[in-house]
Order: sequence, then structure tokens, then C-alpha cells
Amino acid sequence: MNEASMIGLLTAAVSFGALLYLAALGELISEKAGNLNLGVEGMMAMGAVTGFMVALETENAWLALIVAMIVGALFALIHGLFTVVLGAEQVVSGLSLTILGIGMAAFVGKDAVGRPPGAVLAPVDWGALSDIPWVGPILFRQSPIVYFAVLLGVATSFVLTRTSTGLALRGAGESASTVDAAGHSVVKLRLGAVATGGAFAGASGAYLTLSLTPQWTEGVTAGRGWIAVALVIFGAWRPGRCAIGALLFGGLLALKTRLQTFGVDLSPILLSMIPYVLTIGVLIVISIRARNRPSSAPAALGQAYRREER
Amino acid sequence: MSRLVLVRREQAVSGGQPLAFLIGIVTALLIGILLLVISGHDPMAVYERMFDSSLGSPRSWSITLNRAVPLGLAGLAVAVAGSMGLWNIGAEGQILAGAIMAAWIARIGEGWPSPILITIMLLASILGGALLGLGPAVAKAQIGVNEIITTLMLNEVALRLLQWLIHGPWKDPESRGFPLAPILPDEARLPDLFERAHWGAVIALIVIALFGLVASRTAWGYELRVAGSSGETAKYAGISLKRKIMTVLVLSGGIAGLAGGIELSGNADRIVEGISAGYGFAGIIVAALALMRPSGVAAVALLFGAVQVGGLSIQTMGVSSSVSTILQALILFGAIGAGVFSKYSIKRVGKEQKSNAGGMA
Repeated sequence: MNEASMIGLLTAAVSFGALLYLAALGELISEKAGNLNLGVEGMMAMGAVTGFMVALETENAWLALIVAMIVGALFALIHGLFTVVLGAEQVVSGLSLTILGIGMAAFVGKDAVGRPPGAVLAPVDWGALSDIPWVGPILFRQSPIVYFAVLLGVATSFVLTRTSTGLALRGAGESASTVDAAGHSVVKLRLGAVATGGAFAGASGAYLTLSLTPQWTEGVTAGRGWIAVALVIFGAWRPGRCAIGALLFGGLLALKTRLQTFGVDLSPILLSMIPYVLTIGVLIVISIRARNRPSSAPAALGQAYRREER
Repeated sequence: MSRLVLVRREQAVSGGQPLAFLIGIVTALLIGILLLVISGHDPMAVYERMFDSSLGSPRSWSITLNRAVPLGLAGLAVAVAGSMGLWNIGAEGQILAGAIMAAWIARIGEGWPSPILITIMLLASILGGALLGLGPAVAKAQIGVNEIITTLMLNEVALRLLQWLIHGPWKDPESRGFPLAPILPDEARLPDLFERAHWGAVIALIVIALFGLVASRTAWGYELRVAGSSGETAKYAGISLKRKIMTVLVLSGGIAGLAGGIELSGNADRIVEGISAGYGFAGIIVAALALMRPSGVAAVALLFGAVQVGGLSIQTMGVSSSVSTILQALILFGAIGAGVFSKYSIKRVGKEQKSNAGGMA
């Protein structure tokens, strides 16, 4: 193991971590409002394909990112319409959204497979900062989306804990009838949270095709959406802890292709099991603790809310 | 000022679910036409090819039937858990676990008489799926760990276990470095029923019918429904919830595992990473459309089998096979939408009424 490969690993850990963090943050917001959206993988696929296609057409990577976020949000609102407005089962609707998203993305992107990207979000040069040994390449030569993810993490944490909207949103996930009685619209809060979640997942998908890969192929999301779902639980529904988890899971993704470089004699496939096994472990610990004190999971998560049935 | 709200009908529209399902299909086909036209294809030609290749001849029926087997068993697995209000999102992983176990038996049992080998393979596949269901079952029954997440996570774990086997211990030395398991011995192949169809369809039908009977005609099935509708009532009736949760989730896993065993023995040359073409996830849609009822599961599985076979056939016309994936998801969304309106009606309420309703909280 030498210095260059260690720096390479940590740089990739941050890049992959930001990818997972963006999608997980969106899912966290949705779940905090009481809506479990298992459509993350599908929303990421939609963001990935639209981002790539818009970049092909316009050669403007920033516009591509914005369109991907809008498409992600609109796509998430399908799930929102069925679960929040019509009260359908969140699990079924979310999984269908994943299937729909993967299918639509493959359909739309059929002719874009294998084409070189129209534009990419090139790494930011922070001048002197980027030249600091170790820290420079790892933290200050990343794609702009990485810094965007950090910003969104801080903003999410602030909004959820320090603003009245955030309080109402968390209320919708804990006790919807209380929030309703206080004069907030549970439907609007939850729809807003679901749409925001979709926009974040769309950004995460676009990050793949505009920066990380950067190409469009069917299945480019490669199950990262499921890791994002796991990450929310691993981080116990807290933006800060999710960030730590994202670096850890991102590190594992980065390590997968580098095991041989480090002389570790372990199958990279077995290594990629770790996030899921860890998440199950964390969930068991959370559940055991929940016997003695309030659970960290939103109490009304997964439940539809109908005013006349409370 | 007024707004629209959903009001529960006193009585659900009769025949609501088959009707909702039909509306779902029509909606999906209409949106499909739109997509095909936009992408420059002739929708009628595409649909005709899909129909011909999946339901147009005995041969197409046999292919569709083979496809419906894993869908039906995965759907039943989800429905078994669903009948008690539990979600098994892990059918995909359990199918893989079942296929892994069956492949393992085929490895060690080469040369055994075919009926014996196949029987043991299928029993082992049930065991494999059940084992993968056991963890979430214990965690849910003993500690109350959310089974949605644990079963979902185990999908990914099972997939990687299979990948590891194919890339490592089970790699065929004659595959010239490709990560491929060896071809299955002939005696491990499920015999044919007609044309391309294998006996899996019969096995699946028996299993589905058996569970349907047990669920509707036995005390055990009755207790299951009581436990599913109200945990409190079940406690008063002396039904052990923990034991019910355990049985149901393990059984659900076993049924999904069987789908993997049949798929390997009936449809595959060798065990591959993609042995389950998303059957476990599609099974959730199948079960939801069937309202968790075994009889409905068989019917919906057949239709989804046809859509999938049709989807594969249009690739030769230059149309992406993803059309079938899109159609399946759209059928579900269309049916949910229609299903809601069989139970609810839209009423316009004025602002006055609304604030009154709010005041009663």
C-alpha cells in the first residue's frame, strides 16, 4: 500500500459517499414526514438518464442537474399521489415506482447507451486548498455535487430541527392527527417531503452520469438506491449520522475495486455485503433499545393518513 | 371556497377488484400506446406481437406458463405474509437462496436417479428460502424488528452470496475464466409437460391451491386472519402472535425458495446471477393486485407472465423490452387508483364543513 493508492481510496470514498448521501438525505426527509418511499432506485435511474440526456442535448451540465432534480421530484410525486392522497400501501407503491423508473429510464435512454457525455460536472479547483497534501485531493478536488450534498445535509438538518416547517414535517411523521389539529395540512407536508426526496434522488442519479461514471448504461444505479434506504436506518434518521454512514458505505464501495492494490485477500463481493449486514445489526439494536425508550424511527412511518378515519 | 375529499363508501363497489384490475390494464395499455407513438413505433403492431408471442399458440402459452410459475409462487409468498399484515420484501433473495440450495444438491447428487434428485433439489430449495426467512422471522417475533427492512436487506446479501459462489467456489474450470457455474446434469432437469412448459406449473398450482384451502378452511387459517386484522383480538383469543409471525414468515420464505428451485431445475442450464429476473419484486405487485388472495395470485401471475414474455419478443422489432416492465408498474398504479375509487367516492366539501370537521379532533 502506498500513499497515492491510499489517497485514491479516500477520494473515492468521499465521491461515493456523496452519491449515497444525496439519495439517503432525500429518503430521510420523506420518512421523517411519515412516508416510506422504496422507489429510490427508480428515482435515481430517472435522474441519471434525464441528466445524461439533457447534457447530450444542451451540453450544459448544470442545466442537466436541475432538470434531473425536477424530473426526480415529479416522478416521486406519482408515489405521493398514490400513497399520500389516495392512501395506497407505501411499500407496494414505492416498489412499483422503482420498477417503473428502471423501465422508463431504460426505454428513454435506449439510444444514449455508450455515447460519450455531452457535458460533465468537472472537479472544482479550490486553488491553494486543492494543493494541500492529502486533504487537497481528498476534499478539495471533488465534483461540485459533493459540496452541494454537504450543503444540503446542513440545510436539511437546520430545517428539520430549527424551523417551524421542519417541526410540522416531523410531526406529520410522528402523529399526523396532532399536526392536522394544529392547522397544518398533512397532505401538503408529506407531498412536499416526498417531492424533495425525489429531487435529491434525481440529483444523486445525475451525479452518476454527469460526474462519477460518467456514462449512461441500463442498470447504472446498480442497487445504490437500496444502500441509500439502508443508510437512513444506519444513521438512525439523523442527517449527521447518515453523513458518517455515507462515508463508511462509500468507503466500502471504493474499497471494492481496490482490494488487490492493498493486498487484502478477501472477495470484493463478500465485502459489498457489509453495508446490508451492518444495517440489519443497527436496526436490531434500535429495536431492542425501543423497548425502554422512544424509538428513533418516526412513529407514523408507513401509515396513510385519512382525516375522517382517525 | 370548497375542496375535494375522499369519503368512504358505505359499501365497497361489488366486483371492485377485478374491475380495478381491468381498469389498470386498460390504463397501462393506453399509456403504453402513447410511449410507443412518441418513440416512433407502431403500437398496434407491437401489441399484436406481444399477444401472439405470449398467448397466440400452444407454444406461446407454454412459455408464458413457465414465466408465470416463479411469479405465482413469489406472489403467493408475499400473500402468505400479507394475509397476516406482514410484508415479505425478501422474496427476490429467497428465490436466489432456493436456487443456490437446489444447485448445491445438483452438484453433489450427480448420477442419482432423476426423480429422487429433483425431489431433493426442490425440498432443499424450500429449506433455502425458509432459512433466509428465518432471520427476519425471529427478529420480528422476538424483538419487533421491522421485517420490511430486514427482508429487503437480505435480498442484497443473497445476491452477493450467489455472485461469490459463481465467481469463486463454483466457477467451472472449463469456462475459460468466465465466472460461470457448470452446466446442470441432465437428471436435474424437470421433465416437460407440453411444448416448452415444464412440470413447474403443476407444482405451483398445487402449492397455491393447498395454501388457499388451508387459509380458508382450517382453524389455523382462521387464526391467521384474526391475527392479521387485530393483534389485540388475537391475544384475547389465545392465539400466540409470536408463533404465528414465525410460521408465516418462514413459510413465505420457503414458498419463494421453491420458486428458485423450480426455476433452476425447469428453466435454466446452470445457476446464474440473473436466475430470478426480478420475480421477487414483481411478486409483490402480483400479490397486491390479487389483494393477497391465492386464487387471484394465480390469475395475475399468468397475466404478468404473458406481459413479460411479450416484452422479450418485441426486442426483435427494435423496441426496448423495458416496455413490459413499464406496463407491469402501470397496471399496478392504474389498479390502485381504480381500487381506491371502489372504496371511496369524491365529495366536494365547503370551507365551513372542513373547519367543523377539523374542530372535532
